[in-house]
Amino acid sequence: MMTRDQIQTILKKSVSFSEGDQTEAILYGGKSYLTGFANNHIHRNVGENNYNLSLRVAFGKKIGSASVNDFSDEAIKNTVKRAVEIAKLQEENPSFVSFAKPEEAPEKDFFVEKTAEVTPDMRAEYVKKICDKSKEKGLNANGTFVIDLMQIGVLNSLGISRFGSLTVASLKSVILGDTSSGYSIETSTNVDDISVNSVIEESIGIAEMGKNPIAVEPGKYEVILSPYAFAEFISSLSYLALNARAVEEGSSFLAGNFGKKILGDNITIYDDGLSPETIPMPFDFEGVSKKKVVFFENGVAKDVVYDTLTAYKNGKESTGHSLPQPSSFSPYPMNIIMKGGDLSKDEIISHVEHGLYVHRFWYTNPMDPRRAVITGMTRDGLFLVENGKITKPVKNMRFTESIITALNNCIELSKEKRVMYDSSSITVPYVRIKDFTFTSITEF
Amino acid sequence: MQRIIEEALMAAKKFGASYADVRVIDRAEEEISTKNGSVDGIKSSSSKGFGIRVIADGAWGFSSSFVLTDEEISRVAEEAVDIAKASAKAKIEDVTLSKIEIYQDRVEEQVKIDPFSVPITKKISILLNADKLMNLQGIILRRGGMYFSKEWKTFASSEGAYLELERVISNAGISAIATDGKDVQTRSYPSSFGGDYQRQGFEFNEEVKLLENAWRIANEAIQLLSAKPCPSGKMDIILESSQLALQIHESCGHPTELDRVLGEEASFAGTSFLTPDKLGKFKYGSDIVNIVADATAPFAIGGFAYDDEGIKAKKIYLVKNGEFVGYLNSRETSKKLGLEPMGAMRAESWNRAPIIRMTSINLEPGDKAFEELVSGIDNGVLMATNKSWSIDQKRLNFQFGTEIGWEIRNGKVQDMVKNPTYSGITYEFWRNCDGIGNNDYYHIWGLPNCGKGEPMQVMQVSHGASYGRFRNVQVGVLR
Repeated sequence: MMTRDQIQTILKKSVSFSEGDQTEAILYGGKSYLTGFANNHIHRNVGENNYNLSLRVAFGKKIGSASVNDFSDEAIKNTVKRAVEIAKLQEENPSFVSFAKPEEAPEKDFFVEKTAEVTPDMRAEYVKKICDKSKEKGLNANGTFVIDLMQIGVLNSLGISRFGSLTVASLKSVILGDTSSGYSIETSTNVDDISVNSVIEESIGIAEMGKNPIAVEPGKYEVILSPYAFAEFISSLSYLALNARAVEEGSSFLAGNFGKKILGDNITIYDDGLSPETIPMPFDFEGVSKKKVVFFENGVAKDVVYDTLTAYKNGKESTGHSLPQPSSFSPYPMNIIMKGGDLSKDEIISHVEHGLYVHRFWYTNPMDPRRAVITGMTRDGLFLVENGKITKPVKNMRFTESIITALNNCIELSKEKRVMYDSSSITVPYVRIKDFTFTSITEF
Repeated sequence: MQRIIEEALMAAKKFGASYADVRVIDRAEEEISTKNGSVDGIKSSSSKGFGIRVIADGAWGFSSSFVLTDEEISRVAEEAVDIAKASAKAKIEDVTLSKIEIYQDRVEEQVKIDPFSVPITKKISILLNADKLMNLQGIILRRGGMYFSKEWKTFASSEGAYLELERVISNAGISAIATDGKDVQTRSYPSSFGGDYQRQGFEFNEEVKLLENAWRIANEAIQLLSAKPCPSGKMDIILESSQLALQIHESCGHPTELDRVLGEEASFAGTSFLTPDKLGKFKYGSDIVNIVADATAPFAIGGFAYDDEGIKAKKIYLVKNGEFVGYLNSRETSKKLGLEPMGAMRAESWNRAPIIRMTSINLEPGDKAFEELVSGIDNGVLMATNKSWSIDQKRLNFQFGTEIGWEIRNGKVQDMVKNPTYSGITYEFWRNCDGIGNNDYYHIWGLPNCGKGEPMQVMQVSHGASYGRFRNVQVGVLR
């Protein structure tokens, strides 16, 4: 890993080499390891050491950007020169006012040494436990064990100077049987929080329960979505609706609805980069501290996330949700959390007379962004629920549903939640939704 | 460069590798985007580094770094071997590789105009001129973009391969979004996903005709707002070639990847219905369906001179006369099934180990003029330009939506329809293909965003297609 001093030296050099009115330098990267397994053995095992220096230079309202992963003085000078050239060739961006300005911000760090000390042998031991148990049960284990060690430094000519580091450990198991499959994943900054036994228990348990599924007719069903399945819905919302760009471009259903009650009383969704319920991020890729942003409070549409550019454009303050710029996906919510309910998952299931339990969705894609209609398949666990109990496994089906309709039809939420992480994190409960639309079936 | 490569291979051997290969990549990229009459972003980036892949104790290991120093090369080689030895603790059998011909070669991309030699102002000017033509009443978002990349890759293996390969990609595309306050409709040109991508220089951008099509697509986006909804029910459809390209991608490209078939991608991308027992014995499509994997296709971004195992580009049939006959494979997976290695291993960059990827997966053109295809339909829909896509993890149940459609009645293309969708089961759909457009409509589309693998690797692939006619397809979604 690079040291904090090395990172700050490169950032300072980058800014000092620039002749721009304003200059911003971001250095991020680190080491990343992934042990992949399939068919009950390790088949892929990879490591990476990579950092990227991303520069933005502004002359008035003209901005140029360039990036490089060679940190020699010559390469940095060339990259600064390129960003300057691009800025000078640009037309003015009327929305641009300034890069981020410094603010009082306590330093927070989320680097867990225990996670950084995980070796290839230790990763293999975790994986072997899953594979051995799977073999013992006559099943087929697949999955990954990922260790990410990340650092980010942001420095700009206005006085922003931030540094942060983060570790992430994530263990995933996908268990295949002849006619079924099961899934489990646990993610934390601290590898010691991950229980290989609970990952084994959940993924093998679902695969064993799912043997010999029956086909049911597509149509409207009451469903219980696990956090794995429900996170897919919320993830789609992230880019379809919950950011200032989607509102500005008219694709977000929140446009024109702020302050209005558009969802049920039980729906409160927010973004909070510093919550203990998320994989944390203290600041964004412009060095702005993460602010808590409430998207829906008891069903009322409240706000979306902003970076500096969209904030200035809309007379707001950045909420600390910039991605590395320029980006057509920025701003973006990185730490979405949904408020849970008072019931346990089992209590929710016990309330369903006839419905389906969905463990996971797969390959979801928007069909109609403005109405937030998405389609996708069930995967790794679909079960019939009858008279308050999971009774039979069911063959996978395709759903086509509006996220707005589904959230409006959400009648219960669990107190248990799970954190799902894939560059950004989503923390959601189990939910019970009525009149959920399945549109076709598949063969397995 | 040669010194770095030799050091990496020697170090891998010293630490205990029985096989090693190394890739050093230096890539420059430029991305320009415009939005509503101004430049939205220009990004110039470069990335350089190396990756070492080894077999030690009969198992795979890979490590990579951006630091090209002797000390780091040795550390990364040792780490790759340590990782391989850890893999061996949870192995079932030793990795073995198919034998291949070993090459030493240097291949430069044959481009007419180096895209990096063209001033940014010229690129911006084309995009902003197209933007102006799309600036019609009712259009709320006009986007344009160009992307260029140039890389040099050196591949060498402990078996003696040494390849220096250049790759140049150029792209251009525009889109317009219209709204009437209630509905939102999009049109893109020449296709969705940022337009078309080719292994060519700036000559591609000069041929792509953004300006000639900008007004048309903006106008179509506006017309879609008041167009009638696409009808629902079982009917015949014709897919325009860029939509058919994505159909080929999802329902033939992915399920013929042999790593998926053997379960190696089950954790993320999924598996495949095209299991080895079906090879040579399964009717995938109708007799007129011929699908090739052709890494030699000119200008195709799924094409290359050599893959990332050093195998020279090949063309093979995946589906011949409707029969499923071939897989996309690697040295390891081909050995497992006793097949010829066909060269489909590619890595996104220096920091990723290669996995099986689509090359250029092309549906060979048929013999029909467009008018002939249409005249054979009493009740159906012509659909163009992908808007949404989804398919199950074995690649059977799919559902696609397109930006635009037109009703076909009594053998003639009639009214425009909005929000067309169709769905089906892969082999039933392809078995109902009874007409393929001729070579006049055939185009190889560059698709830059195929996601696969863990860690995720986004790959440039391509698909050749003409028009395709499919009978008795479920159109519209039950709601």
